Amino acid sequence: MTTAVPVKPRRTWTPSQIVLTLLGTAVSAVFLAPLLWGLFTSLKSETEAVDVPTHWLPRHWTGQAWKALFDTGNITNWFVNSLVVSVCVTSIVLLVSALAGYGFARTEFRGKGALMGLVMSGLMVSPAVLGVPLFTTVQQMGMVDTYWGMILPQCAPAAMVYILYKFFQGIPRELEEAAFIDGAGRWRVFFTIVLPLSRPSLAAVGIFTFIASWNNFLWPYMVTNNPDLMTMPNGIATVMNSYGIQWAQLMAGGLMAGLPLIIVFVFFQRQIVAGVAHTGLAGQ
Amino acid sequence: MTTAETVLAPARARTAAASATLRRRQGFQHGGWFVAPFLALFALFVVWPLLRGVYLSLTDANITGAGANFIGLDNYREALKDPLMWDALGHSAYFTLLVVPCITVLAFLLAMLAHHIERGKWLWRLCFFAPFLLPSTVAGNLWQWLFNPGTGMINYVFGGDTPWLTDKSYAMLAIVIETLWWTVGFSFLLYLAALQSIPAHLYEAAKLDGANAWHRMVHITLPMLRNITGLVIALQILASLQVFDQAVVMMDFGPGPESSTRTFVQYTLEEGFTSYRVGYASAISIIFFVIIAAVALARMWLLRNRTEEATR
Amino acid sequence: MAGSFGFAALGSGADALASTARTRVRYWNLFSGGDGSNMIAMLDAFRKAHPDIAVKDSTLQWGNPFYTKLAMAAAGNRAPDLGVMHIGRVAGFAPGRLLDAWDTGLLAKYGLRESDYNPKLWQRGVVDGKLYALPLDVHVQLCFYRKDVLRKAGLLGADDRIVPVTSVDDWFGVLKEARKATKKGLQTIGLWINDQNFQWWFFVAFYTQLGGTWFDDAKTEVTFDTDKATQVLEFLRRHVTDGYANPAMGSVNAEQFINGAPFAWEGNWSVPVYSGAKLEYGAIPLPPVFGTRATHAESHSFVLPHQSDRGGATDEAAHQLAAYVVTHAQQWAAGGHIPAYLPTLSTPAYQKLSPQNEYVSAMNHQANEPKVWFAGSTGILAQRVGPIVVSSTVGSAKPDAAAGRMKKELATLLAMKNPMDGKTAAQGGTAA
Repeated sequence: MTTAVPVKPRRTWTPSQIVLTLLGTAVSAVFLAPLLWGLFTSLKSETEAVDVPTHWLPRHWTGQAWKALFDTGNITNWFVNSLVVSVCVTSIVLLVSALAGYGFARTEFRGKGALMGLVMSGLMVSPAVLGVPLFTTVQQMGMVDTYWGMILPQCAPAAMVYILYKFFQGIPRELEEAAFIDGAGRWRVFFTIVLPLSRPSLAAVGIFTFIASWNNFLWPYMVTNNPDLMTMPNGIATVMNSYGIQWAQLMAGGLMAGLPLIIVFVFFQRQIVAGVAHTGLAGQ
Repeated sequence: MTTAETVLAPARARTAAASATLRRRQGFQHGGWFVAPFLALFALFVVWPLLRGVYLSLTDANITGAGANFIGLDNYREALKDPLMWDALGHSAYFTLLVVPCITVLAFLLAMLAHHIERGKWLWRLCFFAPFLLPSTVAGNLWQWLFNPGTGMINYVFGGDTPWLTDKSYAMLAIVIETLWWTVGFSFLLYLAALQSIPAHLYEAAKLDGANAWHRMVHITLPMLRNITGLVIALQILASLQVFDQAVVMMDFGPGPESSTRTFVQYTLEEGFTSYRVGYASAISIIFFVIIAAVALARMWLLRNRTEEATR
Repeated sequence: MAGSFGFAALGSGADALASTARTRVRYWNLFSGGDGSNMIAMLDAFRKAHPDIAVKDSTLQWGNPFYTKLAMAAAGNRAPDLGVMHIGRVAGFAPGRLLDAWDTGLLAKYGLRESDYNPKLWQRGVVDGKLYALPLDVHVQLCFYRKDVLRKAGLLGADDRIVPVTSVDDWFGVLKEARKATKKGLQTIGLWINDQNFQWWFFVAFYTQLGGTWFDDAKTEVTFDTDKATQVLEFLRRHVTDGYANPAMGSVNAEQFINGAPFAWEGNWSVPVYSGAKLEYGAIPLPPVFGTRATHAESHSFVLPHQSDRGGATDEAAHQLAAYVVTHAQQWAAGGHIPAYLPTLSTPAYQKLSPQNEYVSAMNHQANEPKVWFAGSTGILAQRVGPIVVSSTVGSAKPDAAAGRMKKELATLLAMKNPMDGKTAAQGGTAA
């Protein structure tokens, strides 16, 4: 990112560039075709969708499936639930993992090494691995079928603490020490000096957490049973997806759940790419 | 930035000894509080469930949470003899075996492609990465539809009437194909970032030495991507072993044709929430945890050996 | 910890906010497609008749996801006020723990009595002397046939119904003729060869036709007859080997039937689908190819998922709603199910329904799963044994080997303890 381009190199259509671009176009077409098929299905009538032999473009374009989606389904509920859960999870994760990352990187307290080791071993625990005991724990707390039951268990990601811990370790100590000597306390230093410096890392963690939470299926699936409280991925999979599936509607619902992130991606591509790559690469 | 610079200047004037004591004192006062909120959540939702899982695995607890009896290691004994558990483990392992090499190679090739096309970089990135942004269930439903015999795109485009989702020789393959499409974007981005961070002067020097494109790739690109490849493989192994979402969605929450796609996670949830055997489900979860931990530790061990090698 | 309880209260979300002065009944069901719209129509009628009761209905995915959700909600003490279950699942669903018993006095107050039921059916919902499941219907596996295709093949009798079939040879003779009249690209019969539930149901039907049994009365011995089972498995398999069922079309039987395939074996819930598609078709119980008549039957029933504070106006409204739906099930019957409420059965309006009048007799020739805690629609029994039937039908296991495996699996299940009370089937408990 830092290597700014001083002179734009002249781009020419060399034969190898032509071949590569054609290849890229072909591969992209393969990647987009499933999405397009889904989109076209959502614009067919339910009977045309299951017509044999099938075909790409609707013979009769209709928004019937999309309309039905909003008329009959709980889709707007789910959308709001998804938004509430993802925003809460992202905020809480950012806050607690920034604090913890900083605590581990820059402060001393008894048992720090052991606690750090414990947190790192937490990298191996996920709802997929320990779903059943996690559910019974949340059940004991009376949080089954609540927002908090969906949110809080997603808020202890050891990986994010580790990423921010690594980052905070890289901030020169002198910056903070100067502030201490000027009389600033730990907390002020953290909020006024350290946090502003770590904006890119925080953005990376935030973006990654938001995507993961928006798309999370397994945990919300386990902990919510009430269809009014479900998030998009969960509602689509367990409520809409029943015997006698209405494919046009299902495709429309899927696009509803998937499009927001894709649109956001188009606009914030650089940040998201940096965010995903950053969080991913931190595992090295 | 301005704040940082203004505080930085006077700092240099102070003695290191003074700041060291100060740091220690400050740290002792507040360090615990910084990590406390996270540790509280961590204790409640990671450590406690793990301990609870160990405890439950020694009981015959059911889903209602009432009337559990301590039964020692009976659950573990049963698990080791349970053919369904071994089948499920086999399915997850088989899935991993298929997905990991494919995704690694595919991600690398896509990254090379996107890296070397000069025009429209954002477009390639978007196309290859977009599927990853879909929720797992949406991707699963979409491919369930694509694989549908008669009305799906796959058989329409490639001809034939392959029973992708209803024949045990294709079902897992269908899930693997869906997974490649859906998740390759993540590894692709990692590779792309790694490619972009290879210093250009290496290539220029090699060019001056007369190395052709192939040599440059073998002697510069591939060695420089060694670490990232290790990371991609490790992340994929851990994620693939825990496969659940797409498999159940594509199979309508069933175990697939002749139970050929029931994954390990699916089996633990079925035992716990469908058969209501929370104790037994906990026991096989703990077994699974040990397997995952072993894989993760093996990777750390490999990594340590390699860095030692490098520093030697 | 205390804090989390506070959070829990906060988090009950939209539910708590939406409550009004009216009594609110939360009702979960597993009905989609034609069943779904019929159920909603009955609910709407109820809402109109009882504006003081707000019914909040939620449809979840049929099968295990539904039972999982219902059990987890009941276990987490966030159960709905009213739910639907297959009656065969009730024994394993921990009556008393995950389910609350019906107040028959309250039901009577709203016009529903034991005497309105076939006594056998009523008894299937009773556990330890208390009623836990209130049957709404009996639903059966049927042989759907296209009259237009069969007429061409000369397989319709004078009454415009399919010619009688009483033996395996009869049946394959019919298929042979029907295939000649079938359009290219379509299979002759759809019988869900890859679906462990359907294959299991069909197995139960034909195994019962052969007079096969499962366990002895004490539930200590497996009395499963592998010879009879092999016979059934070979029969099912032959549809594939003789080319009548196309393995590639295993999951799209309904589409194939609508497009012109002559036969489809399906549950009676497909009636609204095929009627809606304006097909000329009929439906009979699965043909008695082994001599006696029997077809697989289950029942949808209303249940009260366990709530620690069940009672009061909400509970009464749940009783009222259930009683209303059971006694006003004409539309439900039109949707293909055989109504459990006897007065409905004897109305002229019901007797005029077609193809219902062709298969209503199936009610008296039911092939049920054994009454044990692990049985019932999509229960553990179906989950464990169903895939074995499929493996034989699709040809990856020999029928006799599969029959042996089925017997072994049944023995395993019989020795297994019900996680709810720690008792095996022989030790009885809730399964009695």
